[in-house]
Amino acid sequence: MEFNVLIGGEGGQGAFSVELELTEILTKLNYHFFATKHYMSRIRGGHNFHMLRIADHPVHALRGGKWEMVAALDDETEALHKPDLREGGIFLSRAMTKEVGEESKKLFGEIRSANTVMVGIVLAVIGVTPERMAEATEPGKVEYLKKGSDFAVQWGIAGAFPVSRAAACLVKFDGNQALAFGALLGSCRFMAGYPMTPGTSILHYFSDAAQDLPVHFEQAEDEISAINMALGASYAGLRSMVATSGGGFALMQEGVSLSGITETPIVVAVAQRPGPATGLPTRTEQGDLNFLLYAGHGEFPRVLFAPGSIVETIELARKAFDLADRYQIPVFLLTDQYFADSVQVTEEEEIPLEVISREYPLFDATYKRYRLTEDGISPLTFPGLSDALVRLDSDEHDEEGKITEDPDMRKRMMDKRLKKMGLLEQEAVLPTFYGAGDAAAVVLCWGSNRLIVKEAAERLNADGLSVCVLHFGQVYPLTPAMITPYHLEAKKRICVENNATGQFAGLLKRELGMAVDQSVLKYDGDCFTVEELCRTLKGLLT
Amino acid sequence: MEPKIETGWCQGCGNFAIRDVLEKVLRELPVPRNKIVFTSGIGQAAKMPQYLDVNHFNGLHGRSLPPAVGIKLARPDLTVIAYSGDGCMYGEGGNHFIQTLRRRLDITILVSENQVYGLTKGQSSPTTGLAVKNDLSPGGNPNLSLNPLALAITMGAPFVARGFAGDKEHLKGLILEAILFKGTAIVDILQPCVSFNKVNTYAWYRERVFKLENPLTDRYEAIRMADLWGEKIPIGVIYRNDEAPCREIKEIFQVPLTKADVASRLNMRCVMMR
Repeated sequence: MEFNVLIGGEGGQGAFSVELELTEILTKLNYHFFATKHYMSRIRGGHNFHMLRIADHPVHALRGGKWEMVAALDDETEALHKPDLREGGIFLSRAMTKEVGEESKKLFGEIRSANTVMVGIVLAVIGVTPERMAEATEPGKVEYLKKGSDFAVQWGIAGAFPVSRAAACLVKFDGNQALAFGALLGSCRFMAGYPMTPGTSILHYFSDAAQDLPVHFEQAEDEISAINMALGASYAGLRSMVATSGGGFALMQEGVSLSGITETPIVVAVAQRPGPATGLPTRTEQGDLNFLLYAGHGEFPRVLFAPGSIVETIELARKAFDLADRYQIPVFLLTDQYFADSVQVTEEEEIPLEVISREYPLFDATYKRYRLTEDGISPLTFPGLSDALVRLDSDEHDEEGKITEDPDMRKRMMDKRLKKMGLLEQEAVLPTFYGAGDAAAVVLCWGSNRLIVKEAAERLNADGLSVCVLHFGQVYPLTPAMITPYHLEAKKRICVENNATGQFAGLLKRELGMAVDQSVLKYDGDCFTVEELCRTLKGLLT
Repeated sequence: MEPKIETGWCQGCGNFAIRDVLEKVLRELPVPRNKIVFTSGIGQAAKMPQYLDVNHFNGLHGRSLPPAVGIKLARPDLTVIAYSGDGCMYGEGGNHFIQTLRRRLDITILVSENQVYGLTKGQSSPTTGLAVKNDLSPGGNPNLSLNPLALAITMGAPFVARGFAGDKEHLKGLILEAILFKGTAIVDILQPCVSFNKVNTYAWYRERVFKLENPLTDRYEAIRMADLWGEKIPIGVIYRNDEAPCREIKEIFQVPLTKADVASRLNMRCVMMR
């Protein structure tokens, strides 16, 4: 059983608050749900809508297709979304939501209570009793929720789409929270940033954590400063990161290159949105893969992760700091607006809680920051811990960090840095495989599409098609070991991506010599839904 | 004289004198050498830390300050000194200069001020005078010159000074005072460029500089003093405000982050981005 509801309205009308409160309460009540939003780059006005899928089983994608309920806070919702209401579905018209607003204001003296009343209506529809609602909210809001329940009863929609609660204990994350949480587990202690949607809430998470925990957040004057601050903090001994979106990352590139030559560990989180330039500031795309692969002038090793689930995001964010530190390189965490902004629950026991600790080795005055070693990794220490002086330079340098233009030393330093690439390939994170090994077709995907594709493939298999899924959480470097176990050469290969040019398909071809037969691409600013993807894949597979 | 080491500087460059001064400062500072970090950008002046026996983060052009901020926030136990030239500090890094002053950190900013781009061979810098001719501005520099000291005072910097590479003893005193000052301290150091600046020479400065006996404590009077240029050029501490509060920084280096700390960040309220 599942219940899909869309709540639409103008910016500033309260739909954001309804989603916020509803997801809080659903988590406390232990419901499986997935929530995401479609919003415009403005503070007031326009047309935004929030989509929630509440189910008696885990859900991690938009179902697509018809809604069980549409709530219209503005006229546009009726025009745009009422046609997508399923037969027997509930439509809360503009007149009804107006009544909710007016009644709430009259009863409780403030218009904002109407948001909570709306939450009460939705909860009543899935069968939550007012008593249960009361358990899951703050005392001041119990009456509001009760009023919502009364509206539902009055309109005959209470319990119309009952959904039962989950057995396991659930925790809630949005994608950015999962990333920031994973960063803390990776012992990230310093973040500098400049706000840019959809990366901003990573900064919020850190600045909030910095109130109580031994971490620091600094708002920088621009992204150039942010990454240079983070590199300074990293040099001084704190694991550090920056978070932004494509446009902000464009400004950070020189810092990535600086990390490359100075071998200063850094983690860079980029939540993609559609470009070029300002593009669609609040929508989604996977258009910056090539940008990150090649960002920063010069040649130096890097790793790119593009996680596709909450747990994978936490684990890869944690691992990013470990890799950045051990190899003294930039590591990227690539997500997108869809994943960043979607709120979902995961079983609490699946959430890792172990914090990686780091070591602070001490050296004497003979310490050389760039000592040439067999594996290319020079011992790393930090200023002020011992007699070792830590000397770093963005110019090509010798083992002591002194500027050099000697061709032989240049070559040795380049070889030293690039040698790490081979080691990184050996510890590459393998992709996740879903389905039967002998399936006739494979859907390849990366990043946030993981669980949309997984659900679509499950449905297609249930419909008698034969399809498996291979999701890449590490998109660079790609290694043969990632694909050889699956005999993909014998299968029809379809790559699903949220971009216009099939960047990952191109990367697979370049790095692994594997061409895909077809690409399914979407670049209108919205994510895929399960139903839409099923339809498209079915067309390609039959 | 300091022992000779190979540098990228021209014979007679004002930076040699400044390096001699900095070596003395490093010896006289009541701070262990390993607790001092120099950051720098790019340019002839920005090579300074390369020629000192000290921790250094020689970063990118214009970016001597953001790493200095990051280092100080991460490690308040370190003495952090940013060093660069006028082009790097006020041109490419101009916004960082303004914004770093707002951060109220206990760092020192030292600038080799020669009113010209040296490493790129003689183009106008932000402090080049109006109408000064060079290869890239054959018709004369069309821009007004930036006044770094007045700007720093305006932005709230609590310690603003000007030194002269031609007076090493005086300069040493200024730099020591700046580093020991608790708060953001800036010393703009007049540093003749013997290759590309034929106007602002040692002799030219010697005729004009005069030493301020005491720093001004009134901001507006200090700005007036900072504005003085031409026949008379003040050197010394132009503005000093011991009342300006310096930002407190939480000590987090090597403080463990525990499982319980992280677990406390579960089920956080989502932030709605718009």
